[in-house]
Amino acid sequence: MRLTKTLLVVTGLILSTTGLPGLAQAKVTVLGWPGGSEETALRAVAEAYNAEPGRAEADKVELIFFNRDGFFDKLQADMAAGSDAFDINLVATYSIGRYAPYMDTIDLGADAQKTFGDSVLKTMQFEGRQYGVPTDLSLHFMYYRKDLIDALLQDEAAKAKYAEIAQKYLGKSLAPKDPDSWTWDDWAATALYFSKQVNPASPTRYGTVLQMKNLLFNMMVFQSLPRSYGGDWMDKDGKITVDSAAYRTGLELYKKLYDAGASPKDSLSYEYAETNAAFGAGQAATALQWNAAAGDLTSAEKSPAVAEVTGMVAPPAGPDGRADHIHGLGLGLNKAAKNKEGATRFLKWLATENAALAYAKAGGSPALAPEVVAKVAAERPDLVKLGDFAGKYGYVMTGATSAKALSVYELQAKEFTGYWSGQQSLDEALKKTETGMAELLKK
Amino acid sequence: MALLKPAQSRLFLTPLTGFLMLFLGFPALVNLVYSVSSVSFETLRNPQITGFGNYALVLADGEFWRSVSFSGRFALVTALAECLIGLFLALFLAPLLRAHSVLMAPLMLPLMVAPAMIGLMYRLVLHEFAGPVPYYLFLWLGDSPAFLSVENAFTALAVVEILQWTPFAFLLFYMAYSGISPDIREAAALDGAPWYRVLLWIDLPLMRPTLAIAFFIRFIDGFRVFDNVYALTGSGAGGSTTSLSIYIYQAFFKQGAIGKAVAASVLLFLASLAVLTLINLMAGTRRRA
Repeated sequence: MRLTKTLLVVTGLILSTTGLPGLAQAKVTVLGWPGGSEETALRAVAEAYNAEPGRAEADKVELIFFNRDGFFDKLQADMAAGSDAFDINLVATYSIGRYAPYMDTIDLGADAQKTFGDSVLKTMQFEGRQYGVPTDLSLHFMYYRKDLIDALLQDEAAKAKYAEIAQKYLGKSLAPKDPDSWTWDDWAATALYFSKQVNPASPTRYGTVLQMKNLLFNMMVFQSLPRSYGGDWMDKDGKITVDSAAYRTGLELYKKLYDAGASPKDSLSYEYAETNAAFGAGQAATALQWNAAAGDLTSAEKSPAVAEVTGMVAPPAGPDGRADHIHGLGLGLNKAAKNKEGATRFLKWLATENAALAYAKAGGSPALAPEVVAKVAAERPDLVKLGDFAGKYGYVMTGATSAKALSVYELQAKEFTGYWSGQQSLDEALKKTETGMAELLKK
Repeated sequence: MALLKPAQSRLFLTPLTGFLMLFLGFPALVNLVYSVSSVSFETLRNPQITGFGNYALVLADGEFWRSVSFSGRFALVTALAECLIGLFLALFLAPLLRAHSVLMAPLMLPLMVAPAMIGLMYRLVLHEFAGPVPYYLFLWLGDSPAFLSVENAFTALAVVEILQWTPFAFLLFYMAYSGISPDIREAAALDGAPWYRVLLWIDLPLMRPTLAIAFFIRFIDGFRVFDNVYALTGSGAGGSTTSLSIYIYQAFFKQGAIGKAVAASVLLFLASLAVLTLINLMAGTRRRA
């Protein structure tokens, strides 16, 4: 009898310390993007949300994070297994299709359109349906050395040399221009002019730093070049259109610059960090790089050699104008969520102007509509440029939110780097890419 | 008389057998099922058995054979180099280590670092704008090679692997060398045998089992290389540094081709099993001899 009583007491104690509080406080669990400004900003807004008067215990948000390394692979394994360990999960533009089968769509309401604008909301859509709230946006800036370009624009002898180099390598005589009005040819001529291998008098070792490692993210950086020549992954009928003049022009230009020595010899192993290091060391005159690098490259502490002389513009123009590859991080609703109602309430709140502004002030990088971003312009001038470029030049390739989008980027990375490194011809690279993409993107 | 009765032995072995069946047997069984199934992340719990199509797909894939070739070359080159350098160091440093055994600790340090960290470290060390190696090459020679280009990546990766794992071979060889009775060498010296004959006819034959084991362990380790290659070059420009492990990882996670990836991993398992069986047979032959 005593044993039975003891067992009952122990069972009661275990229940009271584990299961019952869970029933009483069904919080909203959010799996966020760990480390960096995204985590800091999410923590800040979650705290603000929980502290709002009248917030029910069941609606309060609890954050969980795990390592960035292999994050999306682990997330896929978790979601495929039907994990209900989180109600809201991170989602990225290029992986929405991959996670869509395990997620619910959400209606963010009219506020979201006013806060972010249509082009930014689209970064969280798959097959026309909204799967997430866009929290952070990534695109690319053309970083350049203001001091070097200013000197070039004022020196007649340098202009003559520039025209001579452009004629020799690009087949046309060009004059130096302000970076904000560069075409890709102007950028290429500038990159060649500022490379010691082409112009021994160059003050920098290289004219640019190309990110050419076999890595899907590098393909996102490259994509804007063919896009500005009218390139796309597929046409409206679903036919793969990557074997096009636009892609040929872009791929050939990269190879021409690499072969001419306008980019470091090890560029085929370069990604984000290496590009930052090269530009930050003052040994490269230009770099097409992620917007996230702006903070580091303009920080006197982190990049003393270039902080004061780094300029940023949108990527150069092609015949179809300028194009800037955008992709976003956001938060969406797990299909297996235990607390869907609470989770939906938090997501809708996150899409409101006040929440987006709080997120921006806390260090996040949301792309906001012009009238909204104006309210934080003094504190976050970089967000003005981000929103401006995203609105004017932002694009998502047709098919780039499909379930196999990541695989398409991977395929392009492998085949294009194979061409750049001289292991296969341009025709072979494009043929293999087209065949592989047709297989990956077939309906 | 046996210490334990058969029934008692079985009882003591039960937890270990249970552990192995649960944590090795079950995943192996699932792997075998997936390798003959049509399966995706959406159908992980409901794979459709389709036969040996995945194996056919893998065996017909040029990239698979390319990765096998990379892994094979990498394993052979690194295992040979590690064993040769390790053997040289073991013989050359033996007198010094006998007198100052404390020197063994710093020599073992590379083994303490995770391979992925080694990869990241060399990514920094070889970087043209941040690394000390290109810095001094530019300073002294005015130029620095592209260490991770398609032409040089294999050599760079092999050197990194060799620098990390030579101490492992060295440790085994030094212990084997120390275990040889000095009386045998003294007897040979009294007979007037020069040092190279002692090495050829006494030391190396007595160390042969250790030499073989070290080579095979390093070969298997080199064949399944992943971490440091992935951290340094990924799969390389055009897939030029795709090892078999990277091929499997990419097929599974990046392409979502689970059946194909698992079929490749089963083939890797069978190849490893063949090598281990070979070692076992060789050891058995020696015991019988």
